[in-house]
Amino acid sequence: MKMEDMSLSGLDNTKLEALAHDVYSDLVEDACLGLCFEVHRAVKQGYFFLDETDQESMKDFEIVDQPGVDIFGQVFNQWKNKECVCPNCSRSIAASRFAPHLEKCLGMGRNSSRIANRRIASSNNTSKSESDQEDNDDINDNDWSYGSEKKAKKRKSEKNPNSPRRSKSLKHKNGELSSNVNPDLYKYNYSSGISYETLGPEELRSILTTQCGVVSEHTKKMCTRSTLPDSDTVLENDGYDAPDGQLIMSRLQWDGSSDISPSDSASSKAILFSGTNNSESKRPKKKKKPSTLSLTTTGGGGERDKGPERERGGDRERVVGGGSSSSSSQNALSLSSRKKRPKLPLPPAPSIYDDLN
Amino acid sequence: MSKEVQMRAAINQKLIEMGERERLKELLRAKLIECGWRDQLKALCKEVIKEKGIENVTVEDLVAGVTPKGRALVPDSVKKELLQRIRAFLAQHST
Repeated sequence: MKMEDMSLSGLDNTKLEALAHDVYSDLVEDACLGLCFEVHRAVKQGYFFLDETDQESMKDFEIVDQPGVDIFGQVFNQWKNKECVCPNCSRSIAASRFAPHLEKCLGMGRNSSRIANRRIASSNNTSKSESDQEDNDDINDNDWSYGSEKKAKKRKSEKNPNSPRRSKSLKHKNGELSSNVNPDLYKYNYSSGISYETLGPEELRSILTTQCGVVSEHTKKMCTRSTLPDSDTVLENDGYDAPDGQLIMSRLQWDGSSDISPSDSASSKAILFSGTNNSESKRPKKKKKPSTLSLTTTGGGGERDKGPERERGGDRERVVGGGSSSSSSQNALSLSSRKKRPKLPLPPAPSIYDDLN
Repeated sequence: MSKEVQMRAAINQKLIEMGERERLKELLRAKLIECGWRDQLKALCKEVIKEKGIENVTVEDLVAGVTPKGRALVPDSVKKELLQRIRAFLAQHST
């Protein structure tokens, strides 16, 4: 702090300091006095002791300071494990799931009517697959499929497909709002989207000859590109066989909760995502698989390095059917799984290999 | 000596005139409430009152009983900040 003598006209540092302290003391004393006056007035007016009652009441509302309990003494998740009985279906439901369950059970709420509509639509459309076939070509052109145009239109008009909330919910629901897919493809399910298993072979053929049919792992949406993806649309896997609808049809099964083991792939349907799930669960144990690369090359799948970063869209996954091209499926898996967990150096496909082998 | 006294008077006057004193007062008040000083002092007052009896307590009793402790109870940080501001004012305006 600079001190200019002339500005202080004779007062030096110490004196100035003393002066500052005096000013400070005055201020503090003012504060004390102010408080005393306030208290005195409160006492004389009788409102000073108002916040104190008898000892008993004071004890009742004392602040609680125990672990696991809030300051009122209430336990936090006391109702977490309790079960409530639904008045409608008389089932015992966990408390935290009770409200959503009621919504579905009573048929009120936004989601339940949506599901019901969709179920009706799909059940309607399953019964008339013939007319759907010829409309498949139109699907890519039009936004609506033939059978459920009204319903789809109604549903679409209810919500804005471009809103950010929409895109978030679409991750877990099948995009009926993706709009150029046949509604009969959708067996609506909270956990997974399309289930190819539930469609008949005719429908599958009709779908898969015109559209790609790959279900994205993230959004559970079926890819609706017109069939036969080009090689340049597929990552860096040059050795990719063009997916053949026939092969795919016989091998695809999409179900997040499927429990068919990968060893069945040769015979019936290849479980790609269930395989992925398995591999993901095993992932922590196996981090690197040099054997993977060799397998890949034999299958002609091409390299598989950091390319997947390009493929974040989730719509470009190509599943190549066929037990022989298991490496390709491995690639697809690697793509999908890599998208999910990019931090893994190698895709989890090796574990599938182990299963297959 | 009288110069010093004169100086003090002049400074005080300036403080008041420029409104700085009020500002400092408000600042101190806010800080004291924030740090809990006020509640501590109120508890002290309660004791004095209980001692003297509600009916008979006077302002002087309270002041005498509470002010010395009050001065001591001011936290150092508050004190430092206030002194700093005062010194700054003095440096700026002592002509």
